Amino acid sequence: MTAVLAPAEGRRRPAFSFGRWLEREGVFSWLMVGPPIAFMVALVGYPFFYGIWLSLQNRPVAKAGEFIGLDNFINAWHDPVFRLVVINTIVYTLAATLLKMVGGLGLALVMNQNFRFRNLTRALLLLPFIVPTVLSTIAWQWILDPAFSVINWALLHTGLANPGPSWLGNPYLAMFSLIMVNTWRGLPFYAITLLAGLQTISPELYEAATIDGASTWQRFRYVTLPLLKPVIFIVTMFSVIFTFADFQLIYVLTRGGPANATHVFATYAFDIAMGAGQFGQGAAIALSMVPPLALIILAMAIYMRPSKS
Amino acid sequence: VVVNGKWKAIPFGNIGQLMNWRTDWFKQAGYEKFPDTWDELLEAGIKLKKAGHPFGFELGHGFGDNHGWLYPLLWSYGGREVEADGKTIVIDSDETARAIDYCRRLYKETMVEDCLGWTDINNNKAFLSEQISCTNNAESILWSAKKDFPDMAKVIDQSQNPQGPKGRFHMLNPLCHSIFTHTQDQKAAKDFLRWVMKPEQAGAWYDVAVTYYQPFLHRYDDAPMWKVEPRNLPYRDALKTAHLPGWPAPLSRAQSETIAKFVVIDMFAKACAGKSTREVIADAKTQLKQIYRQA
Repeated sequence: MTAVLAPAEGRRRPAFSFGRWLEREGVFSWLMVGPPIAFMVALVGYPFFYGIWLSLQNRPVAKAGEFIGLDNFINAWHDPVFRLVVINTIVYTLAATLLKMVGGLGLALVMNQNFRFRNLTRALLLLPFIVPTVLSTIAWQWILDPAFSVINWALLHTGLANPGPSWLGNPYLAMFSLIMVNTWRGLPFYAITLLAGLQTISPELYEAATIDGASTWQRFRYVTLPLLKPVIFIVTMFSVIFTFADFQLIYVLTRGGPANATHVFATYAFDIAMGAGQFGQGAAIALSMVPPLALIILAMAIYMRPSKS
Repeated sequence: VVVNGKWKAIPFGNIGQLMNWRTDWFKQAGYEKFPDTWDELLEAGIKLKKAGHPFGFELGHGFGDNHGWLYPLLWSYGGREVEADGKTIVIDSDETARAIDYCRRLYKETMVEDCLGWTDINNNKAFLSEQISCTNNAESILWSAKKDFPDMAKVIDQSQNPQGPKGRFHMLNPLCHSIFTHTQDQKAAKDFLRWVMKPEQAGAWYDVAVTYYQPFLHRYDDAPMWKVEPRNLPYRDALKTAHLPGWPAPLSRAQSETIAKFVVIDMFAKACAGKSTREVIADAKTQLKQIYRQA
């Protein structure tokens, strides 16, 4: 070895080479990590901390801000609409996520079977997720429209209801309709992700379970479900975050109406910040989403932790 | 528009909101003319709903058609948000309570349930698809009926809002011209506005819009455009009793925040959805207090 290295020893230290410097691990790794970090800081970190700063100010549009501490949060707490918003968001998130989880798991199990046109069906399944939300929601607006609802038309012509229900006008039905549309949009995400998870489960495990005399339900309960748990956790976490912070769907369909019955954090924060021009209050409302979200995710992480035993 | 002694904008025109109604169905119910008071309107609505022609007034989070009748309703019962000083909150009054009680009855006994979720397009759609017999809207319903449903257009009329115990009121939705402070050539922009507001130019502009923008200057009271469609004349006359939201207080930042938060609209809408009058007034008062303290 020394013989090989000997000539190099004799040479003088090589002149600084930019190319070689770049290839040093310490430099190269930072170079690779740098852009994403800069990206995150600029597009996530800066707005987040600016949001915190805004939420501590009385900052109407086109006026200098004035530091007021936690007053915006205290005001929000005493705001009757804000309390309703909290309840609405929780109902909306829980119901929609649960429906999506159960429905998505069912769909994934079906899609994992062998049947004709399986690939075509899988592709079609993705449609609600691919179509831009605003566009599909406008279609839903027509489906739920009081004057031209196809559902009400069908109910009317089969003699089941006259007049049909007011899908977006009745406070409870409006929330129900939004949960349904959200579920419709979110199902494919669940189904495809869980399907990917299902396909990683080795068929041998099922064979072994069958030989041991496990029924279909037992195979699902003791083989599929435990192995799918990590995937279910990840997908539920994403779904909770998306649903909790949903904006487009609600803003297009009801704008938070009727009488605030479907206002959630994002739509209310937008109305206050952009509509009413109170950036500070809007930021405070938007930031109020963070602690409950963090709690939900923490609780889920603890609950869903794969057991090592 | 002069603010603190400085010209901020030149008022161009108003987009009025009036009662749009079906003359044929009202006639069947025994009404040749549009009801003159809110109480008569309620009476007519009950009859018309029984006959299968309910009313439909926007109570949702739209932009214009909700404010267009709810503020006038509040005022005509003597209710208001703040005093003329722009500070004292007076929403919690018997007058407001009476307006809310009336609104709840009007909704429950004359309207389609869906109104609570409506935005500005829904009442147009419902009216043109013959689902409702009366709504509060700008001139757009008659205009599109004439274009697309000429037979229906013959039996549509527009009337001033009914009056309440404290008078008759309308909503002011003014459109104005102004110049940005960062406009580079201020003089050219001002000269242009001066030119465009001369009767030759402005008059022609009003004319092509056929009274959709109602001019504020009396000079145009007898302009030829008012003869094109006599059913639009109430829009001109309604200007006399029209006010900006927040009246009688002057315009303010807090005032526009009240609109953006739908404080007054939701006060009525929540009552229609089933909450008690006391509750909805308390909610509105809490919101107004918060808004006006920060102003």
